[in-house]
Amino acid sequence: MEKYLWLVPALPFAGALILILGSGKLTKGISGFIGAGSVGLSAAISLVLGLQFLREPATVIQQQLWSWFSVGGLSTNFALHLDALSMVFIFVITFVGFLIHLYSIEFMHDDDGFTRFFAYLNLFVCSMLILVLADNLVLMYLGWEGVGLCSYLLIGFWYKEEKNGYAARKAFIITRVGDTAMAIGLFMLFQTFGTLTIQEILNLAPQRLPMGSETGTIIAFLLLGGAVGKSAQLPLQTWLPDAMAGPSPVSALIHAATMVTAGVYLITRTFPLFELAPLAQNWVGIIGAVTLLIAGFSALTQFDLKRVLAYSTISQIGYMFLALGVGAYSSAIFHFMIHAFFKALLFLGAGAVIMVLHHEHDMFKMGGLKDKLPVIFWTFLIGAGSLAALPFITAGFYSKDQILWMALASEKGNIWFFLAALIGAFVTAIYTFRMVFLTFYGEEKTHVGHPVGALITIPLVILGILSFAAGFIELPHTLGHFTLFSDYMTAVVPATELSPGIESTEWLIQLSAAVLCLAGVGIAYFFYMKRTDLRAELKSSMIVTNRFWYSGWGFDQVYDFVFVKPYVYLSSINKNDIIDAFYKGIVSVSNFFHDAFARTQNGVMRWYIMGIVVGAIFVLSIGLLFQ
Amino acid sequence: MSKTDFLNIVPLFILTSSAILIMFSISVKRNHKMIYVITALSLVADFIYIVQYNAKIKWVIEPLFVFDGFAVFNMGLILMTALAVTMISFAYFEQREERKEEYYILLILATLGACVLVISKHFISLFLGLEILSVSLYSMIAYLRRREKSDEAGLKYLIMAAFSSAFILFGMALVYAQCGSLEFNGIAKYLTGYTQIPILLLTGFGLMIVGIGFKLSLVPFHMWAADVYEGAPAPVTAFIATVSKGGVIVLLVRFFTLINGYQYQSLMLIFTAIAIASMFIGNFLALRQRNVKRILAYSSISHIGYVLVAFLAGGSMGVEAVSFYLVAYFITTVGAFGILSTLSDHDRDADHMEDYQGLLWKRPWTAAILSAMLLSLAGIPLTAGFIGKFYLIAAGVNTDRWLLVSMLALNSAIGLFYYIRIIAVMFERHEGEEERQDVLHPSVYIISGVTMGMLVALLLWVGVYPEWMMSVIRTYVHN
Repeated sequence: MEKYLWLVPALPFAGALILILGSGKLTKGISGFIGAGSVGLSAAISLVLGLQFLREPATVIQQQLWSWFSVGGLSTNFALHLDALSMVFIFVITFVGFLIHLYSIEFMHDDDGFTRFFAYLNLFVCSMLILVLADNLVLMYLGWEGVGLCSYLLIGFWYKEEKNGYAARKAFIITRVGDTAMAIGLFMLFQTFGTLTIQEILNLAPQRLPMGSETGTIIAFLLLGGAVGKSAQLPLQTWLPDAMAGPSPVSALIHAATMVTAGVYLITRTFPLFELAPLAQNWVGIIGAVTLLIAGFSALTQFDLKRVLAYSTISQIGYMFLALGVGAYSSAIFHFMIHAFFKALLFLGAGAVIMVLHHEHDMFKMGGLKDKLPVIFWTFLIGAGSLAALPFITAGFYSKDQILWMALASEKGNIWFFLAALIGAFVTAIYTFRMVFLTFYGEEKTHVGHPVGALITIPLVILGILSFAAGFIELPHTLGHFTLFSDYMTAVVPATELSPGIESTEWLIQLSAAVLCLAGVGIAYFFYMKRTDLRAELKSSMIVTNRFWYSGWGFDQVYDFVFVKPYVYLSSINKNDIIDAFYKGIVSVSNFFHDAFARTQNGVMRWYIMGIVVGAIFVLSIGLLFQ
Repeated sequence: MSKTDFLNIVPLFILTSSAILIMFSISVKRNHKMIYVITALSLVADFIYIVQYNAKIKWVIEPLFVFDGFAVFNMGLILMTALAVTMISFAYFEQREERKEEYYILLILATLGACVLVISKHFISLFLGLEILSVSLYSMIAYLRRREKSDEAGLKYLIMAAFSSAFILFGMALVYAQCGSLEFNGIAKYLTGYTQIPILLLTGFGLMIVGIGFKLSLVPFHMWAADVYEGAPAPVTAFIATVSKGGVIVLLVRFFTLINGYQYQSLMLIFTAIAIASMFIGNFLALRQRNVKRILAYSSISHIGYVLVAFLAGGSMGVEAVSFYLVAYFITTVGAFGILSTLSDHDRDADHMEDYQGLLWKRPWTAAILSAMLLSLAGIPLTAGFIGKFYLIAAGVNTDRWLLVSMLALNSAIGLFYYIRIIAVMFERHEGEEERQDVLHPSVYIISGVTMGMLVALLLWVGVYPEWMMSVIRTYVHN
């Protein structure tokens, strides 16, 4: 099976190619079949590979496809590297990707751009797979930019509406800030190590970069910059809520399950560099903690269903960054996987709700869908429970609980990280169940259209099962102590070092998390089910805070003021580019001479003869003068 | 005349006798195809004969001719170029004049004239070669009698060429008056006694430069070029731009190196001024021109200006660069005019910009070949033109001709504009106007197609693997 690894990214790529070339000639049935089928085959291959990895987690599959280019000291291969870490990622990408493709066949069925949609989606899956399978950082960068491009194309998929185009450009430009930092990081890595092959760098790192060295710290910060941009973390998080302009399956696949976690992958992949730069690693944790809080509070005030989920995604990725910051790599990846399941589920569920309600996004105009759409309701509820980390029965509880514990217990953790995570968990519970109660309970406010079909419900059910059951592969010490996932991950990342003598407090932390979560659900219940009258009062008493949170803590306004306005001003005063004037000058001088000399070409013989005579005089006089 | 003398001079006999053979053949029966085959075969045979020469041996036929590597190489180049012109002429004339056969006699004789120029080492042979070439060209330019422009161009060329020949003759007379010799070596020997050129001799040289400058259409003797290029039939224009100018350049290089003109400030100054003026004015004139033939005329003015850079750089590298550039320029120019000929119809040549509009969509291959030719003229990498220009610059840098080199670079940038513009026009979508039907026998198109294909292959080959052509040139020129 190992030699078929290349098929995993190649199949979606082939699918994309066929769909692009055949665009306009393929029927929707065939397009859907090619789009979903190619990813399905990839998923099947990665499942088989995954079984092999479960038996033997330390397996490493290297596949050199061809030499990409070789310039000076840099020779880059098109080579794939599959280990336990990338295995988790390709499993999630292909499997969740396949479910989302299936869902899209029904969801996008009436769209004119059906084939185009699947072409982009397949291209995205291919790029994402290259990103996580790349054996060197250049190839990874190709995938990194590829997913950025697909994200841009898909956010602006309904390009006829102007604001979607703006959202797409915003996402592209803001992530570009991070990408640039990352590119500089790659240059510095090449300068330091003379190679960009990931494994070689990681092996050489301890020799070339002493602990806490300046170069190492700068490199780690630059890589962090790339990760922050792609994963929508502070301060580059502002693009993600606007990215919800894309179709819901896109939000599920790209802006929840896979692409936005590329930053988590990058940091985990290069973790030895971060271990050698404690300052940068600490900042990973700080960024994660602050992001999860501010995004959580913003989610509290949104009324667009998808924007709640978007802020929630930012917040959950904040958890992953927090885990990475305290050295709990396995916990971060575990949470990534669980999050991919339940967040994809929530987005797909939300998409289905929005579809049956005729493109209604406002939660306050929804309600009472519990009985009308039972399958969507129950799966959504499971997803929401997982997001809110309802104790003991949801997957999200096990993954998030581990991060809470590590934030305190890890050697690199501290009480502030823990408190941030704990408050975040409380806020998460509130906004999640606020969303559930507003959408599914209460009275019906918008007429429900035709019910959804099997292609939408089947992925929901499968993801629902995963969001519920996948947590049981990793149980904490206090509850059975089953460590399948973290054992598996030790093949790639080390186990987290705990502060001495802290184990005894684990049950206390779990208990407080559980209590706070339930309290959060209780508060949501109180305000949105029982005493809905208090809501307006609360809102008006906190109107300033509310607006501040609603706008995502004013980051957009600040960026507008600091970057956009000055830039627009500068370009407005330099409307007729000053530097252009020089080139325009050349043009007009050339034109002048053309006109001047063209007049001599008048076709009159005597004039031509005069030219020769003048030339003769000129030649003779130079000859005589400079004899 | 010894046997070796005779054997050496056989290439000239082959040309003259094939011209006579064609004349006989015409008097018996007019057959375009047969005449064409005879022409092509005689050129090929001549070329094969030339290849047998030993590049290391220099044979002199006193007092007129010299056969050395440089001469043989350029003779071969001229013959091959003439062959390519013959190839494109066939399709071009097949659909035109009733009496098209005599054209080939003139073509062969003009080639003969150029060959004589290349091997001459005496003013008499020089003038003979020049006149054989010019007289043939008068009629070739005006060959399409029914076209007013063709007549006009022929007449203009006749008057102007006669005028310039007068300069050359008078210059020769003055040189003879001073040195008492008409032979290059004799003049060189006379000059060794002087650090400065005597005034009378300098005046003689000056007058000859006027004549030579006219033949090469250098500024300020360039004004005929556009009118003649435009009026002449496309294959004839190709011939003027390549063979006729090539022969004169070879002669110039030979004479100048022999008398070691590099040591005389006055001569250098004259040529430098002429080179710079030619580069600039040629490019400026072409800039907004809308007639493709005129564009190529002006572009040829500046290209000869480029060649002068390497010529003035001198040394063995300069001579190599000149030879290489001639090869690249000949391939490109014949290719461009070849495309122009295939697009021309019975009534007029395809020389308006509009004729090329949307060509890429109508005839992608034709457009691709023309693009390759234009890119080569502009000196874009992967084409022969790039390597040629690179060689010129290298030669210039080698002997520190920084002024000339920087002017060359600047002019390459200006020139890029009008070449690219033609390509841009070919890309424009053009609605309406159905594709014209092929009216001739398909073999005619195959011949032009194969010729063009070979030219473009050569262009890319020399552009990508220049080493082969360079080594050939080195073998022949280094003697």
